[in-house]
Amino acid sequence: MNNRRCDGADRRELIRIGGLSALGLGLANFIGLRRAQADDMGAAKTRKAKSCILIWLDGGPSHLETFDPKPDAAREIRGPLSTIATALPGIRLSECLAETAKRLNDIAIIRSMTSPLGEHNFGTHYMQTGFKPTPSLEYPSFHAVGASVYDRISNLPPNIAIPSFRVGGGRFSGNGFLDRANAPFSVGGDPSKREFQVQDLDLYRGVTLQRLALRNEFVRKLDQFSQLDSGPADSTFEQAFRIVTSSEAKQAFDLSQETPQLRAKYGNRTVGQSCLLARRLVERGVPFVTVNYNGWDTHADLYTRIKEGFSGASKPVGLVPSLDLAFSALIDDLKDRNMLSETLVVVMGEFGRTPKLNAAGGRDHWPRVFSVAMAGGGVVGGQVIGSSDTAGESPKDRPITPGDLVASIYQLLGIDPALELKTADGRPIRISSRESRIISELIG
Amino acid sequence: MRIESKIRSSAKIVTLICALLANQSTSAEDPIDFKSEVIPVLTRLGCNAGSCHGSAAGRGGFKLSLYGSQPSEDYRALVRDAKGRRINRNDPRKSLLLRKPGGDMDHGGQQRFDIDDPAGEILAKWIRQGANLNVETELKAFDVGDSTVELEKPGVEYAFQFLATFKDGKQRDVTRWTLLTSNDESSLSIKRDINRAKILRPGRHIVLARFMDQVTPVEILVPYYQSGESFVENEQWNRVDRFIFEKLDQLNVSKGAQLDDQAFLRRLSLDLTGRLPSPRQIEAFLADNAANKRSNLIAEWLSGQEFVDYWAYQIATQLRIRSQAADKIGARVYHDWLRDQIAEHKSWKVIASEMLLSVGDSHEFGPANFYRTTGDARLQSEFVTESLMGVKLRCANCHNHPLDHWTQDDYHGLAAIFAQVKQARVISLDPSGENIHARTGKPAVPRIPGEYFIESKDADIRVPLARWMLDDSNPYFAQAMVNRIWKSLMGRGLVEPVDDLRSTNPATHPELLAWLADDFVQHDFDLRHTIDLICNSLAYQRAIGSQDDPEFRRTYYADAMLRPLSAEVLADAICDVTGIWETYGDLPKGTRAIELYDSKIVSPTLDILGRCSRDESCESEPNVAGGLASRLHLLNGRLLNQRILDLDSSLQVMIRNENTTEQIVNFFYERAFSRWPRSEELMFWKSRIESEMGEVDPPERVQRLEDFVWSILNSREFTTNH
Repeated sequence: MNNRRCDGADRRELIRIGGLSALGLGLANFIGLRRAQADDMGAAKTRKAKSCILIWLDGGPSHLETFDPKPDAAREIRGPLSTIATALPGIRLSECLAETAKRLNDIAIIRSMTSPLGEHNFGTHYMQTGFKPTPSLEYPSFHAVGASVYDRISNLPPNIAIPSFRVGGGRFSGNGFLDRANAPFSVGGDPSKREFQVQDLDLYRGVTLQRLALRNEFVRKLDQFSQLDSGPADSTFEQAFRIVTSSEAKQAFDLSQETPQLRAKYGNRTVGQSCLLARRLVERGVPFVTVNYNGWDTHADLYTRIKEGFSGASKPVGLVPSLDLAFSALIDDLKDRNMLSETLVVVMGEFGRTPKLNAAGGRDHWPRVFSVAMAGGGVVGGQVIGSSDTAGESPKDRPITPGDLVASIYQLLGIDPALELKTADGRPIRISSRESRIISELIG
Repeated sequence: MRIESKIRSSAKIVTLICALLANQSTSAEDPIDFKSEVIPVLTRLGCNAGSCHGSAAGRGGFKLSLYGSQPSEDYRALVRDAKGRRINRNDPRKSLLLRKPGGDMDHGGQQRFDIDDPAGEILAKWIRQGANLNVETELKAFDVGDSTVELEKPGVEYAFQFLATFKDGKQRDVTRWTLLTSNDESSLSIKRDINRAKILRPGRHIVLARFMDQVTPVEILVPYYQSGESFVENEQWNRVDRFIFEKLDQLNVSKGAQLDDQAFLRRLSLDLTGRLPSPRQIEAFLADNAANKRSNLIAEWLSGQEFVDYWAYQIATQLRIRSQAADKIGARVYHDWLRDQIAEHKSWKVIASEMLLSVGDSHEFGPANFYRTTGDARLQSEFVTESLMGVKLRCANCHNHPLDHWTQDDYHGLAAIFAQVKQARVISLDPSGENIHARTGKPAVPRIPGEYFIESKDADIRVPLARWMLDDSNPYFAQAMVNRIWKSLMGRGLVEPVDDLRSTNPATHPELLAWLADDFVQHDFDLRHTIDLICNSLAYQRAIGSQDDPEFRRTYYADAMLRPLSAEVLADAICDVTGIWETYGDLPKGTRAIELYDSKIVSPTLDILGRCSRDESCESEPNVAGGLASRLHLLNGRLLNQRILDLDSSLQVMIRNENTTEQIVNFFYERAFSRWPRSEELMFWKSRIESEMGEVDPPERVQRLEDFVWSILNSREFTTNH
């Protein structure tokens, strides 16, 4: 709803410079560009996760209707949903998370997330980068940082968003001050649709791989002649070449290679099929996938949107039941393939929702306390970290900031939270702030 | 002169520290004033910041107004709310107000001060004296001393001195109770305990100083090079250059080289007409021997039709001209009207006035569409202030703007004016229209922002608004437009973003901005006059420097900035170079992208190249160009490939006509780059295209020529204005 922000740094110019011009590296250099910095660092010792699937609940999910219900609170706080027991004694979740509830032994829930930022762009920036936004510098999201430091083991882009990376109102680039190539690649289609495919993966008629290589060489030569090139090679261009020249890319995006039974388990909604696609990509060496699940900005008519999906639905297909199917199927599927221990799954949005229902039967933005769920990748499951007060209004104990969360994600991914990356003009910037503390009980 | 000021600055540090120490003790008898002493303590300690009790919902059941903007409300919260427990007049140190931040009780915001610190003393003393509210106190002036401070090198510390003058004439040193914020802590950090700045990097730094309801920026300049390391040449062509030179001199940055004729022609052509120069124009300009041929050309193009088309496109972008859901007519009428205004040399003031005061059928009367840009009165007031005044009022919807003087009354009062305009196909006035004030919950009183409530019942309530906004003395209207013109020609605004003018976001060259605006007013808001002035400056005609040089060389116009072509200009250039037109919607063939009257006309090409949808300000809309998806299309899609292979394309025609490789390379260099290949370039292309391994057979040569043209269209030299 409100996806506009008070300020608005101008990224257009910067991005467009990278636009058409190609300063790419030769085809010969395509593989093995990055050094495996992560493995040289102390944090590597604790590293279990090799990849991360972020299920981003865009708009700000209600903690009260998902991971932190308040069944004993007054009606206007409790809301319209009931709760159910889970695999963990004494822990209850929203009735719409029935499948997730059975798998809590694999999941850690943080119920004491807290942030001061209740605006979509700001909240998104804080949750995905670990830094509050400032006018002078846009920070990179943790997945873009990961994409920039991890060794490439695939010809697929290292950071992919399904269906697209339009988060927090769309003003957030993801790569921040890092090269554009680290921004999530939006696949640009809905995997739940039959005709789903990624555009422009096929070579244009008459253009061969040899000719692509020649074109790449020519562009580099022109930029050398004009002396207008600067900084590192245009890696977006290089990446485009890599996808086009590899056969695995098209296969990776082909969901028809999955059995109908498995596809059904994930649920036939966009979020389900997106999670399935995420698993296929991770399996093929893509380290970071964002499943961007939008529609969580439930200012009005929460019940229908959260639970039913449309009024009068015979079977609930709203936001939470669809998430429940997708998240639980993903955990099972990763487990079946022995991938769960090295795949970190994070379920979160930019903030929670107001403890009291508003006049329109919805809940408004509430960053002071909200929840995050995590599984796999070395996360110690079967625990609830921190808690909110009886009204779901403030953290009762163990307040955890987005900065703490992102630093912990780095730790799980084997990236030293104190690592410094350089901005375009050479300034060293830490990837997580000095004030951030690792959530030690989260990490086994 | 600069050296003197440096010495003065360093001497000042010493005197200021002494002054600071001398001014700290407050005499025991003086009554503590709530507004000017207690609230600044709360601000200085961060209590009323947006992340703490100053947030809209408060924190921990205790709410203060953001940065103390509503003293009476804060007084009530402190003294009356919570059953008065926050204040203990009998034993002030037992007040919650002291115990919590003083570390004596659990406090979500941690300990903020030691109870014996001056902060604690002030609060305790105020309570002991009876915790009174004196509503009369008003800050008349907040003096920050020099608004620009020049220091010699990184590593030094700078001590500020701030002086408050109140309405009753009293003055006080408030250095200690001023809240300082650095715009970049890694370049300039604030030592908060003593309120001093530590300089970490050279350059231009901004520190915001906040006391009571005033926020003032202090600019701190630290030269990039020490004297002797750099020679700053004082050469000026017009007034613009004087300001540019002064800043380069302050920062000790030497200016780069100037453009040659061909590069000048390309840049000017793109900036004034949105097109690449034609071969005929290039040849004519090079053959011209007149000493003032550049000035002549500027004047000639400013009076041409292409200028009208291109600047209509730019201003249409600024005004977000686009069709509404099911109505394409309005956008067309609006755009045609705008183009006519520019063709007829109408002043920007007249254009704005026509739009602001328009009524009537938007299908017949172009400017009436101004009131169809947004969906309601609040959005309309945000749009009007952003697009015409370069001001963002948005934050003042929910609370007084924390970094500017705009209040919630301003925001809702302005919206109350626009609430009297009916936003339908026929724009009409409806005096019963209201806007509900977000704080009071009652209809807001119409108000000229920052000025006065409108009492009189004008027939058209927009008349006093237009009078105020377009008045010669209104600083925003002229500054906003010259800043946009500057950005269009120079690559970045003197203030960035261009729709966020405020004292706390100062221009890189404040005097230049003020002078340009004044000059614009003097010349009757004539767009062409200001454009002419800038294009005739040495600063505009600077060459592109090495891209490996540091960014500050471009920020201060020592070198020119590489500017990506906008989606529309690039699309037109691709068509011009390849000789294959793009069709847009059902518009006639040959229509150029910059002539489109509506950003909603379907065009996958423009989407791939990253056009602005104009749904919101194009200053902050994210851009998809350059992403992997659009890159893939340039590689494999039809946009470029189909144009190169088309039998009617310039390349295929030349191949059929048996042009030599050299002729073809020359042709594309001239059209795409506005220059001819140097001999080493020509040699390279000839060898790669035809004679590398003995003889390349004709089909292979054709393919290589196609690959050459594809590469031209993807090169940085083609896709940027340089």
